[in-house]
Amino acid sequence: MRDELLRDVEQFLYREARLLDERRFHEWLELFTDDVRYWMAGRSTRYPRSSKAITILDPERRQEADLAIEDELAVLDETKATLGGRIARLDTGMAWGEDPPSRTRHIITNIEVEAGDTASELKVYANFLVYRTRAETEQDFYVGARQDVLRRVDGAWKIARRKLVLDQNVLLPKNVSVFF
Amino acid sequence: MAADVTRLVDVENGRISRRIFIEREIYEQELERIFARCWLFLCHECQIPRPGDFFSTYMGEDPVLVVRDTQGQLGAFLNVCRHRGNRLCRADTGNAATFTCAYHGWSYRNDGRLVGVPFIKEAYYGALERERWGLIPVAQLESYKGLVFATFDPDAPPLREYLGEMTWYLDAFFDRQEGGIEVVGGLHKWVMPCNWKLPAENFAGDGYHVTWSHLSAIRAGFGGDFRVGADPTGTALSPGNGHCVMTVGADMIADPPAPEILAYEEKIFPEIVKRLGPRAGRLKPVAGTVFPNFSMLKPTSRTFRVWHPRGPDKTEVWAWIYVDKAAPPEVKEANRLAGIRVFGPAGVFEQDDMDNWQACTQTGRGVVARRYPLNYEMGLGHERWDDDLKASASDYRFSESNHRQFYQRWAQLMAAEKWAEIKS
Repeated sequence: MRDELLRDVEQFLYREARLLDERRFHEWLELFTDDVRYWMAGRSTRYPRSSKAITILDPERRQEADLAIEDELAVLDETKATLGGRIARLDTGMAWGEDPPSRTRHIITNIEVEAGDTASELKVYANFLVYRTRAETEQDFYVGARQDVLRRVDGAWKIARRKLVLDQNVLLPKNVSVFF
Repeated sequence: MAADVTRLVDVENGRISRRIFIEREIYEQELERIFARCWLFLCHECQIPRPGDFFSTYMGEDPVLVVRDTQGQLGAFLNVCRHRGNRLCRADTGNAATFTCAYHGWSYRNDGRLVGVPFIKEAYYGALERERWGLIPVAQLESYKGLVFATFDPDAPPLREYLGEMTWYLDAFFDRQEGGIEVVGGLHKWVMPCNWKLPAENFAGDGYHVTWSHLSAIRAGFGGDFRVGADPTGTALSPGNGHCVMTVGADMIADPPAPEILAYEEKIFPEIVKRLGPRAGRLKPVAGTVFPNFSMLKPTSRTFRVWHPRGPDKTEVWAWIYVDKAAPPEVKEANRLAGIRVFGPAGVFEQDDMDNWQACTQTGRGVVARRYPLNYEMGLGHERWDDDLKASASDYRFSESNHRQFYQRWAQLMAAEKWAEIKS
């Protein structure tokens, strides 16, 4: 991967993070393609295959994957239209969980870029740490991983697919009212 | 010495003391007299269909392991090793013939029997009576239409008696069609910084908050045809024993606004009336709470959930999404998406609830704020027993009549030494 391309992708992601932290959500939404799937999986606790804590009765029922499956429950499973709906909701002045608004800081790290499925696409891996503080003393940490598909559209990068993994099992924040 | 809570709940005048939402002493008494006594929801049978399947949950603050044993029998046990009290099973779900404690290696079969104790001959000289040291089982376990409940009180009335007429209303959520419901894989679990009774009473009877708390989501299109004007029909119902249901008129749309769901609901409505009887042609249940902490919802999102208490000012929510088993795949998928987008930690309706319940709990820390009771007088005197609905019904769709029923039951249980003293 060319260094110039890596820097380009990094700058794109950092700019995206700044739009979120500055609550410029309408501009942020324009970074997505119209066919985006924006999905955030939760995780659960399972015994790994090697565990001696249990003996398996029915091998067909062994469940090792701790990551939600795509047709199961997820924290978020959004289209561009529903992301737009979420932003429209914030604009009503009655979205009480965000009124007064959260103050966020999106820390994006561990960026890796790979060739995508088509010449105009890239696969981009990153980790995120989103710090949220609100009102007087509320604070939450949302930590996890992102896998994006970036697509070149009219000379600019757009996010065509975003898969997010939030690492907590029982979520400690009272709600997930911010974007990632 | 139990706290005298009867003076804290005045349902005749619609006044409830804030102390019951914040004080540790009252909370500890709730763990004994509500959570170690009532029938509590564990899981849906479809989550553990095969022998060996298990699901870890809680009853109150007690960790509980629900298992289908090798013979296919459902059981539930304290998820606690009898030796040092270590938590036995650490996984949320899975399949097992035996469970082995991580501390000293005591192992238990999936029917609770203690089957393995390392060095039992040498270190215990063969004197340990293994059969006496199996996992502690719940006192009673029963299912209703796939919903698995248990109680730690052997004197609790049988589940059907405990539920009473609430069974019809549960049918209207979970047994509308042959085969009942199934749940979408996975759960939403998260922590709310609020007292557990706030979400429980909200689902029990708070239609009032929808038109203001959730107006942003309705205006942004997530509530669909959810009407917020002055005319809609509906009533708050309590069929007894503290159980509560909110309903809307049968002519109203009470479903997520996805076209697949609306078409499906229109198609099956006559079948539902045929299956459930004329009551289903008169009203549509939309939300409710089985006392104390199992709540359900139908419009905007098909979810049921347990409010696990975690201290006077903390609640852990476990929320499922359910679908009619007989529904076509596109309807199930539409319900899955509506469920995720509207309820759950990121739900555009629910995220605002947590924020309100947090502040309703936390301001009660102030000793002066605590001197002033909360107002539960909405609709006082405008509620009556309805023979057709077999429930106490509010005259207007917004009423705190269900809240009053919920807290009356709460006060009865909190004051009673044993089940025999409690009227059903």
